Amino acid sequence: MNDYRINGIREGLAAEFRVTVSRMMMDLFLQISGDNNPMHLDREFAREHGFEDRLVYGMLSSSFYSRLVGVHLPGKYSILHSIEVSFNKPVYMGDQLLVSGVVTHVNEAYRQIEIKAMITNQSGDKVSKAKIKVGIHG
Amino acid sequence: MNDDDVLRQIQPIFREVFDDDSLIITGATCAEDIEDWDSLAQINLVVGIEKKLNLKFSLAELQGLESVGDMVQLIISKVDP
Repeated sequence: MNDYRINGIREGLAAEFRVTVSRMMMDLFLQISGDNNPMHLDREFAREHGFEDRLVYGMLSSSFYSRLVGVHLPGKYSILHSIEVSFNKPVYMGDQLLVSGVVTHVNEAYRQIEIKAMITNQSGDKVSKAKIKVGIHG
Repeated sequence: MNDDDVLRQIQPIFREVFDDDSLIITGATCAEDIEDWDSLAQINLVVGIEKKLNLKFSLAELQGLESVGDMVQLIISKVDP
């Protein structure tokens, strides 16, 4: 786990990690969220509506932004302030995702950084984008 | 740059932070006047102003502010020192 403090962060500081979306992740997210929309559970329903397979929950893929901030950038001393997310392309189980982010602004007075983040799949397609504001405590 | 010039420049930032296109700020406006003006909004306002006007504020400068008018004067002092 990284442990950047505000004085150790500059614009351009970046981090990334890879994760594969599994069926177990989908099952756990269903348990937590209670979102049993058939688009996420029923392959045939999803295919009838133009998708290749069951859609991975947008908020499940967004949860990886939590890992980006909480573990990598800035890591240990992070407090998530806000996040704006867009879901640009569908994500399916088995997709291999690259989650990445770069610091675009640092405010030393209030100890907040802004991160431009994105998630791409194994084909290099951008499946999600995010603007994240993170406080740094301690 | 006078007070009205600064208010005209920073009003869009207030409108965006508070998601209210009808919001009108004056020099007398303060946090008690806007329901959602919490600590997070305060950060977003300051960062928005810094970016738009290409300024940097220290924590000491920010801690002394009690109204939009105080911020306006601070901005003027940094733009026209």
